[in-house]
Amino acid sequence: QARRHQRAAACGMWPGRAGALPAAIGALCRALPPGSRPAPETFRLAKFNRPEAVRAGEWHLLPSKNHLANQPMSISVQGRILFVKSVLRYHGYGRPEFYQLPSDGSQGSRELLLAFSWLLNRINLLEQLLTANRVKIGDEASVCTCEDNLSNSWKDRTEIALERPLKRDVDVRYLQWLNGRLRFKWRSLHVDRQEQCKLLHKIHSYTSGCHMDQTIGHFSVTETDLIRQPDSYKQLLQLLESETSRLEAFLEWKQLEPVYCLTVFFSLQVKSRERTLPDEREFCAAVRTITEAVKLKLSDLKYHCAHKKNGMHGSYRLVFKDKRSVISKLQMEEATLKRELKRLQEECRHKLDEIAEGLVGVICIPPIKR
Amino acid sequence: MKGKPNCGSISRLVSILSQALEDCAEQKKKLEYNLTLCRALLGDWKVQTPESPKPENSPKGDQESEPSPKELEDLELLNRALEKALRVRKSTPRNPLEALGAAEGKKAAEKKPATSAVRTQQAPLSKESVPKTIKVTSVCKKAASSKKLSAYMLKAPYRTDPVKAPTSQSSRAPKVAGKSSTKGAALQQARKTVLTASVSQQEFCAAAEPSGSPRSPLQQSSSSFGGSASGENSVAVILQGVDPENDCPGSLAKSPVTQSHTAGDIPMGSITARTFTLQEKRSLLKLPLPYRKAYSRNSRLWEKCHLCQSSSATAAARSRFLERMQATFCSSAPAFSPAEIEEEMIVLRDAHSLLSQYMEAETTGHPTWEREYECLLTLEGLQDAASQCLHKLQLLRAAAESQMVVHPADCVHSVEPSAADCAPIRGRRCGDTGVLATPLLFYSSFQELRDMAALKLQVVMLHQQIDIQKVLIAELLPILESWLPRDDSPSHLYRAVYTQLCEGGERFPVLMNDELPD
Repeated sequence: QARRHQRAAACGMWPGRAGALPAAIGALCRALPPGSRPAPETFRLAKFNRPEAVRAGEWHLLPSKNHLANQPMSISVQGRILFVKSVLRYHGYGRPEFYQLPSDGSQGSRELLLAFSWLLNRINLLEQLLTANRVKIGDEASVCTCEDNLSNSWKDRTEIALERPLKRDVDVRYLQWLNGRLRFKWRSLHVDRQEQCKLLHKIHSYTSGCHMDQTIGHFSVTETDLIRQPDSYKQLLQLLESETSRLEAFLEWKQLEPVYCLTVFFSLQVKSRERTLPDEREFCAAVRTITEAVKLKLSDLKYHCAHKKNGMHGSYRLVFKDKRSVISKLQMEEATLKRELKRLQEECRHKLDEIAEGLVGVICIPPIKR
Repeated sequence: MKGKPNCGSISRLVSILSQALEDCAEQKKKLEYNLTLCRALLGDWKVQTPESPKPENSPKGDQESEPSPKELEDLELLNRALEKALRVRKSTPRNPLEALGAAEGKKAAEKKPATSAVRTQQAPLSKESVPKTIKVTSVCKKAASSKKLSAYMLKAPYRTDPVKAPTSQSSRAPKVAGKSSTKGAALQQARKTVLTASVSQQEFCAAAEPSGSPRSPLQQSSSSFGGSASGENSVAVILQGVDPENDCPGSLAKSPVTQSHTAGDIPMGSITARTFTLQEKRSLLKLPLPYRKAYSRNSRLWEKCHLCQSSSATAAARSRFLERMQATFCSSAPAFSPAEIEEEMIVLRDAHSLLSQYMEAETTGHPTWEREYECLLTLEGLQDAASQCLHKLQLLRAAAESQMVVHPADCVHSVEPSAADCAPIRGRRCGDTGVLATPLLFYSSFQELRDMAALKLQVVMLHQQIDIQKVLIAELLPILESWLPRDDSPSHLYRAVYTQLCEGGERFPVLMNDELPD
């Protein structure tokens, strides 16, 4: 009873008063991507640790991270639960009660709610989801090699391949052939890419001045095609509109976020470490102190962020305009990589020279250095 | 067979190479899809209403539909508006805008389409008019060659000749009829265009009057061409035998310039009708209104979201919440979460490459003592930075190890997300260009774009080559080394391995038999 009173009092402090919490939860749900949008009711049930909330698929909530991870959703409840637990562990969530939840998904809606709220705060889950699922209407390009770094993903895949060794012996000429094919493919990829640049540039310059957004100025391929075949892009329009409503929900949510935080905060009832909840005046004072501390912390963080920002990441929309160049970083990277490859090759040369000396009756003449 | 080099089972190499090939093929496929689209966009755009292959000019008796009374009404209104425009035009004959506007209006108003009137009018406007009569063509050519409004202005202004059963249109009818799904849409668009054409034409005139400033005639002609052509097209569509629907003119608002792109260009003597190219259309295109609206709403909201900062109250609530949660965590939790370890590792890796660069810069010659002293100090500073990084690395390693201890189950579960799985989540790095900011990458010249693309590809390829090289070294060298004791000549194998490892598969060493005269 006292707890409810205090919760109400706290809610009263914040804008919105009584209806604020449902509005906050509603906004939160609407801001989530369509695939993993729980019913607002689930939250209420979860607060009271009702098993229905879990059965209602609350575990679906956390797998909204699946959207980020581009993972196919595990079919089994158990698989999904394990995945969710490992993701939270990855981010440093440390509540033992959460990890002790059964894998059959029969209980734990409150712990799930806590975990979800924590993640929401910790990694700005909503912002990440919005950014990751952003509708792409421009010509995309990226300067970094993180996401599409082939070696990353195919390294993992080849680790798996190791477990299935080839049954037969391999002729080294087969390797040479494979290598040659690879080089050829890269070259043809290069040619295609260059042609794409030419065509893109043409389209960009032909449509300069047409775009209603002055910053961009010209159309992308998608937009140009949209004009040519408007009927083929109805879905794009729908996606755009649904994204817009999610953004609106996000803005609403931002206003009501403190209400949500406080509610969950007050629902934290840890028996072994329970402290008496502060009364209103104490709370205000505490909030003020915290605000100051956070300001300080953030200024420090800004500095660190400045250091961390090393380069351009992610996917960009390609825009033709008279502006600065981003080539130098790529050139540096290219030079570094070339050096490393050469170094590796040199090492090999030494080793092979050694081996050559061991060969009987044969002299090896290395190819002429270009 | 002697000399046939076997490699044992070097499955890893083969699978890496095969995988790399697959990835390349995938990339190429995506690229090709995009290229096809680009080429289509730069080629001829077919208007939605299909081309009429038949030469018109022969009146067709079987007009499949009569224009509805409503449409007649609308066209009557249009005609009146255009008359007015014409009067205006006559008053300021030098103003190309008006002329164009009038022309456009006329075209749009011409409900009994295709008649010679329309065709003639369209001629100067050129482009792919529906009717591809020789007459039209020649007129087109004329107009095209003159490229001036004056040529057009000399033409008789719009007429309302009775319809000579639009041959082209009706001939197109069967084709349109075939497309039942687009029928309604086409008609709708046509109607809208007809209506909007009048509106836009009026606007044109309105604009034309006050502004006496001459705009590039070509541009102007183009835009009016567009409008008129679309009008013409739409009219054509109406008469094509599509059942006239009673759209409410309210739909006008929806996509006023949807058809603008259907407007052709001045085909320089082109005989193909009803197509135009992006190059010619150029800056006259406009995105359809629904999209424009959706886009502006969308980008405004992104901007808002980007700028929206948490109030201090929110920040306070959030940190209080996080602290409270933290208090309930296991006290034995390691100092860094795996996510943090990965982030810090990235920072360290970057720091490492930065340090290497600085190091290299310092290894150049030191002619003067000042330079040498500078070098010394720099190296000391680098050493400091390096030891800091090393210390950090140790902390991270300790944290990682304690992670294993605390959650040993992680090593067992196959469901454990590998770093790659979590990458997009952790890939905050890759999404970090200001969360919620609109990321734009500008390029200023074609050359720059090409260079960027080439470099990017080169970098990715080099990454892959280095990885392959490492695997090659790991797998091939041992094989070669284990061959040594054997006597059957390993020369082929040696050559092959040498090529792959040292020359990237491009050049071969020469092996000579060492025949010493005994």
